[in-house]
Amino acid sequence: MDSDEDERIPLSQRPEWSDITPVPQDDGPNPVVPIAYSEEFAETMDYFRAVYLADERSHRALQLTSEAIHFNAGNYTVWQFRRVILEALNADLHDELEFVEHLASKNSKNYQLWHHRRWVAEKLGSEAAGRELEFTKNIFLNDAKNYHAWSHRQWVLQNLGGWEDELAYCDKLLEDDIFNNSAWNQRYFVITRHPGLGGIEGIRDSEVNYTIKAILTKPENESPWRYLRGLYKNNMKAFVTDSKVSTLCLKVLTSKVNCVFALSLLLDLLVHGFEPTQDLKNALESLIPESNNLDSDVAARVCLVLEIMDPMRVNYWRWRKSSLSSHVEDGVKNLSVH
Amino acid sequence: MADDDDLLWSSSTDRGSEVRLFDRNRHIMYLQMNYEILPSGYEGQEINRLTLAYFIISGLHILHALDHVDKEAVINWVLSLQAHPKNEAELNNGQFYGFHGSRSSQFHSLDKEVSVPNNSHLASTYCALAILKTVGYDLSLINSTSILKSMKCLQQSDGSFMPIHTGAEKDLRFVYCAAVISSLLDDWSGMDKEKAKNYILSCQSYDGGFGLIPGQESHGGATYCAVASLRLMGFIEDNLISQSTSSCIIDLPLLLDWCLQRQALDGGFQGRPNKTSDTCYAFWIGGVLRILGANQFIDEKTLREFLLTCQSKYGGFSKFPGQFPDLYHSYYGFTAFSMLQETDLNSLSVELGISMF
Ligand SMILES: [Zn+2]
Repeated sequence: MDSDEDERIPLSQRPEWSDITPVPQDDGPNPVVPIAYSEEFAETMDYFRAVYLADERSHRALQLTSEAIHFNAGNYTVWQFRRVILEALNADLHDELEFVEHLASKNSKNYQLWHHRRWVAEKLGSEAAGRELEFTKNIFLNDAKNYHAWSHRQWVLQNLGGWEDELAYCDKLLEDDIFNNSAWNQRYFVITRHPGLGGIEGIRDSEVNYTIKAILTKPENESPWRYLRGLYKNNMKAFVTDSKVSTLCLKVLTSKVNCVFALSLLLDLLVHGFEPTQDLKNALESLIPESNNLDSDVAARVCLVLEIMDPMRVNYWRWRKSSLSSHVEDGVKNLSVH
Repeated sequence: MADDDDLLWSSSTDRGSEVRLFDRNRHIMYLQMNYEILPSGYEGQEINRLTLAYFIISGLHILHALDHVDKEAVINWVLSLQAHPKNEAELNNGQFYGFHGSRSSQFHSLDKEVSVPNNSHLASTYCALAILKTVGYDLSLINSTSILKSMKCLQQSDGSFMPIHTGAEKDLRFVYCAAVISSLLDDWSGMDKEKAKNYILSCQSYDGGFGLIPGQESHGGATYCAVASLRLMGFIEDNLISQSTSSCIIDLPLLLDWCLQRQALDGGFQGRPNKTSDTCYAFWIGGVLRILGANQFIDEKTLREFLLTCQSKYGGFSKFPGQFPDLYHSYYGFTAFSMLQETDLNSLSVELGISMF
């Protein structure tokens, strides 16, 4: 029976269940926050309890777990019993993949469903890699930022393989939506963990170029700015000395619009010991209203512009300004360590 | 617990509300109604009934309205959900003996010799203890040895926690649950703090936020679990930003910047960059900022305005402006207003996720 249909036949009226005595939920004498269960929900769970307590690992029990999951997809006990049955019946796990795909097409935001999917994929082994990657790809067609699906995809790559096309896939997702932070994160995941890419140091240069291009199309997009900073995560020396970073800041500041992330990155450079060029100082100058032209320290002036351009975080930028001296010290210390 | 796309049954809209003040009385009515009986829309979450009860009871406490609750009944009900090993041998069988999330995952046998399935869960255990603490129950009366001793089995070699011994996803949410449980029971023998710390640190992403697992995208809920756990375990101090950052075990400047950038133009907090503002992140991210001692950097006026657009005229809060309320977003709406120091609200222990007592 397809439990999606409206004309659901109650279990009590199905001959194949006539030998089972349902076990009602014992809520005790003084239940707190009771739930007004619908009839079909309560009945399904009553039969499930009976089958579960009898440890009946049968085809009809498997079918019953499908119905229970339909009503109650968060119930981990039902899912866990389903796995016990699947193992006992030595069921074809490809059918199980279809079952999960059908459920996910209706609601893909459920931890139990994804845990179950992983269990199946793990049993199938590396042969499953392609289908799993395809499965998550289909989820992303409707919701490109689905957190569960991204977790699953990363697990598949790390445990079953399929890295070959992953960077190209990130390219494609970012082409579709340059603001997709999940895709930027996946890109970082690939360049740092893909066993064939040789790590971040080797790929940094080309990634920096790619990211700068993305930033220049939409300087208001936070994601590539964070990604760019992330490319230098363990190498602050390269961050401060790579002229591409400061040139990017200069370009965006010169355009005078959407400057907040450029200013923020510039501030980051400065506290890590970067010496600003005259061009950069000039670009900064042109952003400061004359009346505010008081501070001689470049980093302090960056904070001042941020206070004006990002008024929501004015207290934060003021605090950054007030703590500048100690931060520069930290930055210099960090530099000498590397 | 920390999913940004959380609860799913409220899609119809609820427009035309002109209320622009925090409507405490309506919120109390809303929680009271749900305390009496939860509508069938919640049946799909019945496995987490303790969590729903936690939202209601702790919510009423934040609203200064705990007198509406029958404390005796609550205590007996919560205690009845604890899983007890039959004997010492059973305690050492690798299962977790915490609290069941609801009666539907708890089974009894009349035959004392027969073992019944045990489905107790870390998140339910956290909620059970949080409720008991909220209604004033003395937690030293609990048999905590069985909880803590068996909780050890849930910790993985990488330091993360699985929530239930029959198998489930492992991530920061359950590290947090283990940390609060240990903190509430004032006993850390049930977890390896050092391992847990290393797992948390491995979840800090290149942008400064934390993902639920290493390599995953930074997320408001995961970031809360990370920072609150580190605080509970004593690995970071209160008011971290007033101290020198160079000795800090996390990348504090990046974390701080990432958190503050989550306040969007509409005043609300988003859970991830370039996503829509959502009521609950006013707590998840706002809570992190509070632990770090950086809540004075929040634009409180616009945050308050955003939250009020999510306040329902029937009481409670919705995820997005103008929708019907749900318990999850209502609770985090209340906690957010408590952190905003709304009058007549109890103050919060941010890292425990419950009101002060
Ligand atoms: Zn939410």
